[in-house]
Amino acid sequence: MGLITSYNLRSMLVRRGTAAMTAMGIAMVVAVFVMTLAIAQGFRATLVASGAPDNAIVLRKGATSETVSAVLKPDLPIIESLPQVARDRSGHPLASPELVVIISLPRQSDNRPANVPVRGVGPRAFDVRDTIRIVEGRRFTPGLREVIVGRLATGRFQGLAVGRDIRFGSTSWKIVGVFAAGDASFESEVWGDVDLMMPAFQRGGYQSVTVKLTDPAAFDSFQAALTADPRLALKPARERDYYAEQSQTMTTVIRVLGTFVTLILSVGAMFGAMNTMYAAVAYRTREIGTLRALGFSRAAIVFAFLAESTALALLGGVAGCLLALPVHGLSTGTTNMASFSEVAFKFRITPGLLAAGLLFAGLMGAAGGLLPALRAARIPVARALREI
Amino acid sequence: MKFVALVLKSARRSKRRTALTVLSVAIAVFLFSALRAVLDGFNGAAAASSATRIMTIRSTSMIFNMPVSHGETIRSMPGVRDVTWANWFGGIYKDPKNFFANIAVDPESYLRMYPEIDVPPDERRAFLEDRTGCIVGDGLARRFGWTVGDRIVLQPGIPYYGRQDYPFTIRGIYRTRGHAVDNQTMFFHWKYVDERSLVKGQVGWYVTLIANPDQAAQMARTIDQKFTNTPYETKTDTEGAFLAQFTAMFGNLNLLLGSIAAAVVITTLFVAGNTMAMSVRERTTEIAVMRTLGFQRRTIFGIVAGEGLLMAVAGGLLGVAIAKVLVNGENINTGGFVPPFGVSGANMAVGVVLSAFIGIAAGVIPATMASRLKIVDALRRVA
Repeated sequence: MGLITSYNLRSMLVRRGTAAMTAMGIAMVVAVFVMTLAIAQGFRATLVASGAPDNAIVLRKGATSETVSAVLKPDLPIIESLPQVARDRSGHPLASPELVVIISLPRQSDNRPANVPVRGVGPRAFDVRDTIRIVEGRRFTPGLREVIVGRLATGRFQGLAVGRDIRFGSTSWKIVGVFAAGDASFESEVWGDVDLMMPAFQRGGYQSVTVKLTDPAAFDSFQAALTADPRLALKPARERDYYAEQSQTMTTVIRVLGTFVTLILSVGAMFGAMNTMYAAVAYRTREIGTLRALGFSRAAIVFAFLAESTALALLGGVAGCLLALPVHGLSTGTTNMASFSEVAFKFRITPGLLAAGLLFAGLMGAAGGLLPALRAARIPVARALREI
Repeated sequence: MKFVALVLKSARRSKRRTALTVLSVAIAVFLFSALRAVLDGFNGAAAASSATRIMTIRSTSMIFNMPVSHGETIRSMPGVRDVTWANWFGGIYKDPKNFFANIAVDPESYLRMYPEIDVPPDERRAFLEDRTGCIVGDGLARRFGWTVGDRIVLQPGIPYYGRQDYPFTIRGIYRTRGHAVDNQTMFFHWKYVDERSLVKGQVGWYVTLIANPDQAAQMARTIDQKFTNTPYETKTDTEGAFLAQFTAMFGNLNLLLGSIAAAVVITTLFVAGNTMAMSVRERTTEIAVMRTLGFQRRTIFGIVAGEGLLMAVAGGLLGVAIAKVLVNGENINTGGFVPPFGVSGANMAVGVVLSAFIGIAAGVIPATMASRLKIVDALRRVA
């Protein structure tokens, strides 16, 4: 088996030009495959990073996202009083009542308006979301019309530099800092004091309350306590689950599009591989006859030709992955359908994605090589030897 | 042209290879046309918008509302012919997955200002008379199997519409006469929704019909100036600019689909070029014999390049035909996220031209190889 396979692999080198062209065709397919899925991966990772495992977000019963949720002001102390909510050293419950509204700001790239989320947060927000770090300036002071801006938002929209004022909600707000949030979607947002945002946007209540639990395992009893309280019409969700679900619509759209395009395209590339392999079999008819005369079985011939086309395709797969790699980390943005606002995220190529690309290439090669390999095995020995 | 027979003959030489090449070009052209059609759907909505309709939203963002009194103020301005308003209801039909646009409108003025919404006169009358009536697009009606007279129930998706369900009766099914309105939308009475809303008199956006399309930008400024320094400042834009924002929300769609389309073309170039090169290599001896018999270099070039062109264009025609049949809004349910689209005549023409380009580009190198063949070497070669 080893001998004949190495014969086939070496034959590939004899016809370098053809082999390279076929491999490049497959490389393009794999590159498209990896790049589109990298968008889906990046978007999902950004949203999932927004959720901490020991945090829970409380929304109105039946609300699918913060934008359509409402939590009344008197509900907050009830939530805070639950024993599952973690407390800081001085005994304050770690809960952040929040409000998200969307404002329109021009993008830096094309000057077109885009929807930017503005989040009003409670004074404990920085303890509830411990991934938040100030990278420039300082935190906003509760009670003052000050805001801080996510790291990705500063680069993406106009007028979001520290020291400048922005106008929304019929007043102007001073930008005093820039924050990072471990690549989470918060980095596309603007944060300020929730108690000032409510009157500015004519809202009478919060939209959600995010709490830090004493323990991730405390979620179930937290949920039970919350739903059992007849005063509340609220529903908690693990923050991580909530954000994973938010990413669902967009990732599905991108995945479906990516898979649809690459599947169809791969059929075209497979036809190319088939052509190449049929030609390879035709050129080597005499050699195949000789091998068979020497006693190599039909199965060995099929195996060897399959190995050849698979190796060819894998070569293409590697090239495709290399072609796709430079987009890793590139930042782009799209609209989060669940909140109707723009989320900046980075293309994200994971080892798993590359492996999937290679597997996909291998499958293309094997499928494209199957018929030619069978044909090679079926050639009658006597006739093959007679060929010039 | 007398060599056409020769080109056809050589294309038939290896039927399987020709078929595979034609099919791979067909697939590429199919994909290309389909992607173009989707993009056109996005861009077409903005392009086909009316020049005399301008839209006003809250300056902060679309999700904020304005008081209904703005409507009378706008109506009283000179140069304004008509005003209507609407509100995004965001209702859920059974399951959030069944997303479609459902909009509360002032029915009489809305239908008057959007002649694109084509409702039979009797259904129109029934809709206007029934406070809980609604009209739905024919695409939406097909999607859920609705007919006129059906009762449907929407759960409110936005808190200030309360928690109670809203029942509606379908009074009409409209067809669209233009890209500005899609066939996947449900319209109902703004009054019905407003009565039950926790915040009264809310309007999401105003549409103003202006007398002179050349004054659209100026009118937009006049409207916005009227409301500066009120608690409800506005932002007015032409319908085209407004719709273009929705397309922009998807991020750089043009670039994404454009790069995929480019990858499709390049892949096919590799496949088709490879096939042509193989076919030339196989025919080396044959070509040498033809040259010996006195065929000119450029004739050989023409025959080989012609074969590539023939295969590619055959694939192109097949590809656009498949695209035309398969790709249209009827067959593909995008849940309302993508505007309606279909493969247009222009898409098909571009597809065929593209296939011709693939044929020529893929054929040039093999054809040059064939025409530069040294007769003596080629004749000496075995196999």
